[in-house]
Amino acid sequence: MLKNNTDCLLSCCRMGRRGLEGMFLWYLVCIFVISANAIDIKHLNIWPMPKSVSYGYGNLHLSNEFELRTDGSKFADASSILKDAFKRSIDIVRSTHVIEFNASKVDPSLVLKGIHIVVSSPSDELQHGTDESYKLHVPAQGNPLYAHIEAKTVYGALHGLETFSQVCHYNISSRGIQVHQVPWTIADQPRFSYRGLLIDTSRHYLPVPVIKKVIDSMTYAKLNVLHWHIVDTQSFPLELPSYPKLWNGAYSIPERYSFADAEEIVRQVNRHFYAKRRGINVLAEIDVPGHAESWGVGYPALWPSKDCKQPLDVSNEFTFKLIDGILADFSKIFKYKFVHLGGDEVNTSCWETTPHVKKWLHKNHMNGSKAYEYFVLRAQKIALSHGYDIINWEETFNNFGKKLNPKTVVHNWLGSSVAQNVVKAGLRCIVSNQDSWYLDHLDALWQGFYLNEPLTNITDPKQQALVLGGEVCAWAEHIDASDIEQTIWPRAAAAAERLWTPYDKLAKDPEKVKSRLSYFRCLLNQRGVAAAPLEGLGREAPVEPASCYLQ
Amino acid sequence: MNSPSSPNTNYLLLAAFLLFSQSVLTVSRNLDLKLLRQLNHVGKDDSPTYIWPLPLQYTSGNQTLTVNPNLALFTSGNGGGSRIVSQAFERYKRIIFEHASLKLPTAGVDYDLSKLTILVHSDDEELQLGVDESYNLLVAASNAHSVIGEITIEANSVYGAVHGLETLSQLCAFDYGTKTVKLYNAPWYIQDKPRFEYRGLLLDTSRHYLPIEIIKQVIESMSFAKLNVLHWHIIDEESFPLEVPSFPNLWKGAYTKWERYTIDDASEIVEMHFKLFHIKSAEAFSLSSYEYECSNSVITKIQLLQKIGINVMAEVDVPGHAESWGTGYPDLWPSSSCREPLDVSKNFTFDLISGILSDMKKIFPFGLFHLGGDEVNTGQYLLDFLPVVLITVTTSICRLQDHSMSAKDAYKYFVLRAQEIAISLNWTPVNWEETFNSFPTSLNPKTVVHNWLGAGVCPKAVAKGFRCIYSNQGFWYLDHLDVPWESVYYTEPLEDITDASQQKLVLGGEVCMWGETADASDVQQTIWPRAAAAAERLWSAPESGSSRNSTTVLQRLEYFRCLLTRRGVPAAPVGYAFSITNASEHYLTDVKFEGAYVEEEKPTYKIVTLQKLVSPYGNVFQFFCLKTDTASVLLEASASIQALQDQIEDMLHTLSGKQTTMLTGEKRSNLSKQGIVLSTISRS
Repeated sequence: MLKNNTDCLLSCCRMGRRGLEGMFLWYLVCIFVISANAIDIKHLNIWPMPKSVSYGYGNLHLSNEFELRTDGSKFADASSILKDAFKRSIDIVRSTHVIEFNASKVDPSLVLKGIHIVVSSPSDELQHGTDESYKLHVPAQGNPLYAHIEAKTVYGALHGLETFSQVCHYNISSRGIQVHQVPWTIADQPRFSYRGLLIDTSRHYLPVPVIKKVIDSMTYAKLNVLHWHIVDTQSFPLELPSYPKLWNGAYSIPERYSFADAEEIVRQVNRHFYAKRRGINVLAEIDVPGHAESWGVGYPALWPSKDCKQPLDVSNEFTFKLIDGILADFSKIFKYKFVHLGGDEVNTSCWETTPHVKKWLHKNHMNGSKAYEYFVLRAQKIALSHGYDIINWEETFNNFGKKLNPKTVVHNWLGSSVAQNVVKAGLRCIVSNQDSWYLDHLDALWQGFYLNEPLTNITDPKQQALVLGGEVCAWAEHIDASDIEQTIWPRAAAAAERLWTPYDKLAKDPEKVKSRLSYFRCLLNQRGVAAAPLEGLGREAPVEPASCYLQ
Repeated sequence: MNSPSSPNTNYLLLAAFLLFSQSVLTVSRNLDLKLLRQLNHVGKDDSPTYIWPLPLQYTSGNQTLTVNPNLALFTSGNGGGSRIVSQAFERYKRIIFEHASLKLPTAGVDYDLSKLTILVHSDDEELQLGVDESYNLLVAASNAHSVIGEITIEANSVYGAVHGLETLSQLCAFDYGTKTVKLYNAPWYIQDKPRFEYRGLLLDTSRHYLPIEIIKQVIESMSFAKLNVLHWHIIDEESFPLEVPSFPNLWKGAYTKWERYTIDDASEIVEMHFKLFHIKSAEAFSLSSYEYECSNSVITKIQLLQKIGINVMAEVDVPGHAESWGTGYPDLWPSSSCREPLDVSKNFTFDLISGILSDMKKIFPFGLFHLGGDEVNTGQYLLDFLPVVLITVTTSICRLQDHSMSAKDAYKYFVLRAQEIAISLNWTPVNWEETFNSFPTSLNPKTVVHNWLGAGVCPKAVAKGFRCIYSNQGFWYLDHLDVPWESVYYTEPLEDITDASQQKLVLGGEVCMWGETADASDVQQTIWPRAAAAAERLWSAPESGSSRNSTTVLQRLEYFRCLLTRRGVPAAPVGYAFSITNASEHYLTDVKFEGAYVEEEKPTYKIVTLQKLVSPYGNVFQFFCLKTDTASVLLEASASIQALQDQIEDMLHTLSGKQTTMLTGEKRSNLSKQGIVLSTISRS
């Protein structure tokens, strides 16, 4: 788009001397090209933008008996991941209006009978790096007429279904669903393998249905990691069978997650697993040793003293035994390759002032910062022993980066230049710089979310490969069940395109994608997600009566 | 205030403090942690009863009983076999047994309660105003004689039975220790019925389009608080989203082609085709036969209808709020520069209204139909009861030019003619109170007067024999974000009505969610939890024991708000009128963004700021037309500025030693009501 535009202008300049007439002609041509492109963009309302798209000008009707065919697929779908996703996609397309489509009134060759999905891998394993690519083809003609999705894994096919749902529109005159702009040929895959969203259930408890709704909405923007910041200073809502008193640190009795609740959110229990069925990995976090005061409600021995309750007592062997128990429990339900061990904002003064810890420090020839390093590295070893790769917040890297286990993924949050230092040091990195990607910063606008580039100043392809992706963070000091959706959306969607779409296809000027993002925000609203208007700050109420598409 | 005594003393005008609404919202949200931790063990003799709204009569005990996740339903009575009952049972089973652990196999566990009997006497499923909504709920104790306890719901109508199920769901809670659902404080005996038959919530889909999915979520949440009328303010001057088959150009007045409701959509909302949030997101239990019907691509509509007992009252607000009608039929505009009220001089206007109402009659079976009639700016008419200021700010006023009748007569003529059309279709007309205020004796006696401007209207209306719905904007306008829950809770629809026969004429009340600043992103947290406060006012008897004193009401409402969030309804925290206002505060304080808005030159931001300035409480000027529209805000702002100038003038007089006009008490109190404090200090 931009390229054409620039070419035209350059041509105009070069034409300068050939006389007014020629220049005028060129000018007209330029205008034509630009406006044609503008129209195209206007009508391409897919979010995030696929890697490659081509489309035509035909229209098809979605059959009332729209069906899923999977012949030729190597994926057996024993637990109905694909079938259920198909049903969800079609339901959501149809939920915008009552369908009263009468197929007998239209040319049968224009009725799309169903979708044919071929998955080449038999496995339903969801893991970091699982292939998420897909190809979607909606032909303009055929008898019988089917849309086609090809994918390596079922999770790629799920993304294909999401894209398909976004090219379906309710049509007022046919009273049915139409697929506009056929034939479609889309080949798509994500730019980054880690496209995360952090939710925080410690500052405010989020009921299970709310978390499930967030997971649903993530799939609409093709995000793939739910970073569950389960516990923190304020409350400990999760049940852990090995240490049954830990969830005494919950705000209240109803504000807790049983182990089975957590398991259901993450993965399969009978047929009722949630995130995994939607292609969403769940990254669990215990933020040690700094953000852990609530642990001691059940086990006061974890506090250095009654007056000084965090960080966790580094001198007490029980602390590490308990972390080991937690991670052993985690490994039964959180099957994602990574576990997040936190490690941020550790203030060691409590250790240095509490007599018995001070004594221990002295005995082991440590000061506060040494003890912090000791704690983090020891927790890392425990996680590794349970088969996890570790993610730690950036302070660990900033303070003792060279000592971190080489499997560590450093999670940036403070500033914007950390990623380049991390990958230079050969470690992997996830980008979440707070100035652009903290959703609880209501003054961080969607334009900033869109423009935040994880690979800024990283040019070496080997180093680029070490950036796994990025994550937007909904810290919950001021977020609860009543406002989480509008705080997340639509700004998280802006970041989702940055993380999904190839760099060359991303707009340099966010205003160019504004109408498409606005369209996606209205799509979220139609699907029952309370995404806020684009105008104004995060989760701002609409300022005046107007169309959704103009806010 | 005493006059200053010495002419040599200098006075200094110190400050005018603008007190913003936060200062009145100082309700502490710090619930006692111990109390919270006990919430699962409610009902120790002195603790409040966590049922919202509170039932009419109840007794409870101190037993805790376990409830079988495979709770079996037995029905009897003429209406027991109704699909409405069985579907409601399935819906509440999903809500009660929401937790994951309950879906695991539960062999070998003995439960106290495994059976629910629902007895419904009448098989009449017609949902109307005044349908019998009463029910009795009995939870028998387990004792030596019967090991298996039983739950019984008895109701005259299916809708009473649905309310009984809602109450039952609120008695149950998940026990995290034993991983079972328990019913606390058994045995229970509850006898319940609503205080008012009309318990409404207004939704406005003209100022912002609300997707069907959102409307359904709202309707479902209404049933949790036992509200029973959705007042659907479908169209207004901003947009006309509804399809009207007789006049197919009308919905050209929609914002966009995507922001519209087909006639089938409207019908679905009324019938509440229940493919709802809970079913969709929970995916709990194995797929029941019902869900198979849902998922089956060949949709048999009848099988999907699921009434949950919410009536839908449609509104066509004529003649004032109707500019958008003319997009499709420009003839309806008096002229292209003057677009409302609807052209009273053309028969076409009334043909069209008649067509709209006939089409609507097919989909809205509810007996009441709302004809609006508020804020009609005829140019002349407003002069009769609004200060002149409005005229100076309203630059384009439509004037009746070529008619012999006065503007006020024309307004009356219009409203009455519209009423006739509605009555001919067997509807009871509902009109906003201006119609009653202007020509009470001409209104059809069947008219239901819908109060909104201020207090005192219902007493007048019922004294004249009209029925009345109470929606005093100072308390029950949910778009007034600065009205805290207590104001919503403690307002009384029967205030100043003592005569029992007149009291009966008050059908009930309604909380109004006007959509100027509410769309799909914030409508639910603006409605809840404050609508629940009104819901208890409308359902429960006014005088009921300890559960209704102010501390326990707050505890109970906070509990109900959490119950809503646990059911996936994004209800805002109780202590704040509106969580999202936290964000909007920023643009008053954050210089950077204030600047940004000025650059964009968006007058609306200034209007909002002005509004905050002049009306921090929202309920100060009950006797003004206080809506959030620009004209009203400007009106108030100019009045405030005028008042302020008067005060300063007075002060200056005082300063110059001319002790002429001192502040009258009335003026001063006017100022302080607006949050402005003028003070004088002495300077030696």
